Amino acid sequence: MPALRAEPEATGGRRSVVLAVAFFVVAVVTSYLPGPNQQQIASAIRTTALRPFITIQRSLVAARLRAADVDVLRARLDSLVGVLSTMGALEDENRTLRSVLSLKRRIGPDFRPAELLRPGTPGSESMFILDLGASDGVRESAPVVDREGLVGVIREVRSHTSVGIDWTHPDFRASGMLADGTAYGMVENRHGAFREEDRLLLNGVAYHATIPDGTPVLTSGLGGVFPRGIPIGRIDGVAEAEAQWRKSYWVAPMVQPGSVTHVLVAVGESVPDDVSDAWPLDSLLTREQILRQERARADSLRTLADSVRVLQNLLDQARARGEGGT
Amino acid sequence: MRHRRRVWIVVATLVVLHFFLHVGLGLGPVAPDLLTLALLIGARALGPGAAAGMGLGFGLLEDALSVLSFGANAVAMTALGAFGSLTRDLFVGDSLVFLVSYFVLGKWLRDLMHWLMVSEPLRRPFLDQVLLQGFVGGAYAAVVGIFVMAVSGLWRETPR
Repeated sequence: MPALRAEPEATGGRRSVVLAVAFFVVAVVTSYLPGPNQQQIASAIRTTALRPFITIQRSLVAARLRAADVDVLRARLDSLVGVLSTMGALEDENRTLRSVLSLKRRIGPDFRPAELLRPGTPGSESMFILDLGASDGVRESAPVVDREGLVGVIREVRSHTSVGIDWTHPDFRASGMLADGTAYGMVENRHGAFREEDRLLLNGVAYHATIPDGTPVLTSGLGGVFPRGIPIGRIDGVAEAEAQWRKSYWVAPMVQPGSVTHVLVAVGESVPDDVSDAWPLDSLLTREQILRQERARADSLRTLADSVRVLQNLLDQARARGEGGT
Repeated sequence: MRHRRRVWIVVATLVVLHFFLHVGLGLGPVAPDLLTLALLIGARALGPGAAAGMGLGFGLLEDALSVLSFGANAVAMTALGAFGSLTRDLFVGDSLVFLVSYFVLGKWLRDLMHWLMVSEPLRRPFLDQVLLQGFVGGAYAAVVGIFVMAVSGLWRETPR
């Protein structure tokens, strides 16, 4: 009775296909769920099934940091030895270390240090997880910075963790301005053909404004998301000019998100309006600009020394003439 | 029965290894997509319904880490699970050519479906994401897949 035997097989096959279709429908429905529901599911999975892997990543980052501490100590020892041969290198390193240590002090209690983790899975390239959450005072849209400037913004807050996007995300927008406040615009992400070519664009600058390359771009504080004065990047050439009324400029970002492991995140209900003091103007200059500035300073000192020498000669001559007269 | 148990041990190991390499060690694209590989291997031992369910579970695990395109991996993996299972009825055997094509095409289809499901602003250019990285990732997955099949004995054991 082959026909009788075949029927249950066919029924089983049909049931399996129906089940497959049902699972597919569930998957499609999942992708169209409202954001908060999706976040609840994601958070539940992250805190259960994926928790061990996230814990491993956290421990590895901590271990890497400890190794980095040894490197920093070795570098300090090297620089102590190097002080005999070159003062410039020591000054340079000193400047870097000071900037790292003092950012937290300068920026004040409204920002707290946090550890930044990257999931590294498909679709999560522009997002990061911080080990601070709502219980630490982190809220949605809180800015995330490091010693070089703006890293990104918080998008989702859980009790002990939060998820954010960095500037490489297509949704990233920041109201920007030049350091001297002469031009304003909207800074947004532009995808390159490859991920390494991603960069920022300062949009909506007045056509008559000519901005030299290397000019620092800071957050303007407009829009209320980012406080005024966080470095975003440096001007890197004209991107496009529209009908003689508007220009946009490429901006080379200050921060390379892939290399960031520790950041400062804004906490509390209100973020200060202006944090320009946290990034002194010197820290925004490129190495070439600093060298040029130091060379100019040395030239002025040399000129001043020459003038003092001439005045001293004149004084000596006058004194000699006076003594000859008497 | 022993073969079946071995398949599930391999699938479970690949899943744990995938998240260990991608999330634990944060290796990103350097590490192969072992989750897709696990699904492709497991799907050939299941009916379309159960394979799609397994795909949905795997997809949700990945989606938990990509908040901004939640559901894209779930859809891609669910469809891939069902597709993997259906290949049982279409192709019998375990020749090297079949296995390589199965892994390359499976991984590429997963990338293509994921690319189609993510929202427009999150999509990388088609040429880069699907054509270039999809096929390179597929070839990488195939090499690793063949290695896994050979080492675990699944290749040798599959009834001819």
